[in-house]
Amino acid sequence: MVACLMIPAFTLRAALRGEPELRAKPVALAPVPGTQPLVGPCTGAAERAGVRPGMRLSEALATCPGLHLVEQDPAGVEAEWERILRRVEDAGLAVEPVQPGCAYFETRGIERLAGGVQAAVQRALDAVGEAWEPRVGVADRRFAALAAASVAPAGRALVVDDEETELFLAPLPLHLLPLGPDRREELSGLGIQKLGELARLPRAAVADRLGGEGAEAWRLAQGEGDGRVSPRRPPAEIGETLEFPEPVANELTLSRALAALLDRLLTREERGGRIPRRISVSAKLVGGGSWWRAATLREPTAEPARLQQALAPKLSELPAPAVELRLELGELTESVGTQSELVRPRGSRLRSRLREGLRQVRAAVGIDAVYTVVEVAPWSRIPETRAILVPRDD
Amino acid sequence: MVAHPRDQGDSRAARRLNEPRPAQVEAATGIPAAVGGVAVASVREEWRVADRWWTEEPVRRRYFDLVLETGENVAVFYDLEQERWFRQKA
Repeated sequence: MVACLMIPAFTLRAALRGEPELRAKPVALAPVPGTQPLVGPCTGAAERAGVRPGMRLSEALATCPGLHLVEQDPAGVEAEWERILRRVEDAGLAVEPVQPGCAYFETRGIERLAGGVQAAVQRALDAVGEAWEPRVGVADRRFAALAAASVAPAGRALVVDDEETELFLAPLPLHLLPLGPDRREELSGLGIQKLGELARLPRAAVADRLGGEGAEAWRLAQGEGDGRVSPRRPPAEIGETLEFPEPVANELTLSRALAALLDRLLTREERGGRIPRRISVSAKLVGGGSWWRAATLREPTAEPARLQQALAPKLSELPAPAVELRLELGELTESVGTQSELVRPRGSRLRSRLREGLRQVRAAVGIDAVYTVVEVAPWSRIPETRAILVPRDD
Repeated sequence: MVAHPRDQGDSRAARRLNEPRPAQVEAATGIPAAVGGVAVASVREEWRVADRWWTEEPVRRRYFDLVLETGENVAVFYDLEQERWFRQKA
């Protein structure tokens, strides 16, 4: 069977992990700077005060003047979600993450070992931990599993039998369907509020009125749909972090820091010649909060210039000065099949001699003996803020 | 079980270059007469830096570019916030 693991309002829960006392108060996730001023997920106390996710910020504050806004923390969300997935994988389940707070897994492989579906699912719930209030829905199809997870109580699993799927889905709201707001509004205008009401309509009429999107929604409402799970390969990732002595907003400085981090990452021993297919950069921002961007490479590469090219433009999207920059290489592939260079690039011999020299210095004086000077603010009138020393590993 | 690299302490802090170092300066009139016990031969230049006045850590310094009697060229500044002398490559 297919199981859907769900942690509602995961982005908010992850942002509040350092401030548990706020969980009982009216709190909502602040909008991302530069986007529409709409509040994100909110706590139960905020919902009781009339705040709804997706509400305009001004309206939310007028409805609940005591509303506390929490900064978005995409890097924290990513890290927490990864930790949870790894715990579930350690429990013997192969997961397919969909988005932070939602993942699918097959129970079949572990049912006999665990002693039944409920016991297999309980393993996943235990691995996540009750503090996250996870819930699991189990069914023969992905959509039914998702729907079951959305109504399951916190810390519990809801199993839906295949014969009962249509009956189970019928009273559930339409927002579970992957439909755009326009389509949902159109259906609402026709008086259709529940999945069962949509399922009772003739397929041809729905497809005629709402197109392919509507036909797919109708199929899901019937309890049909995909029943396969494509588990991920647990990623091998290596990361490096650079803390700045003071907040940095200058793109040139960030780009240099990125280059220094890349140098350090690519020389890490545990990479062992493997080549990254994915690279991500995250930053801790000056007023709290964080920022995260990832790039999947068309071809895996370990060339610093190409990796730098993939990430450097993203630094201009940083919404506030950074106090820490982190770089991670992901989805490391074996280097087999990589075409070696026919002509060695200019300066490569000099670079390898320099690297050897630095290795000898490090061996003689200590691992933290070699630094690179990175200009941070060469125009500054305060001399000690013009450049920083970045530890170097190559 | 092998610890995930993310959990390992792979963070190392960058350091500032050219941090000011406390200096022993004799300056009865406000102009340095000796640095570290060595008399000042001439004051080549003098300037003030006032910055970050909008923060909780304002910077107010009076810099002197000096030539000592030994021929050494040094730069010192009087920190008007801390009321102390420092040496720094300006």
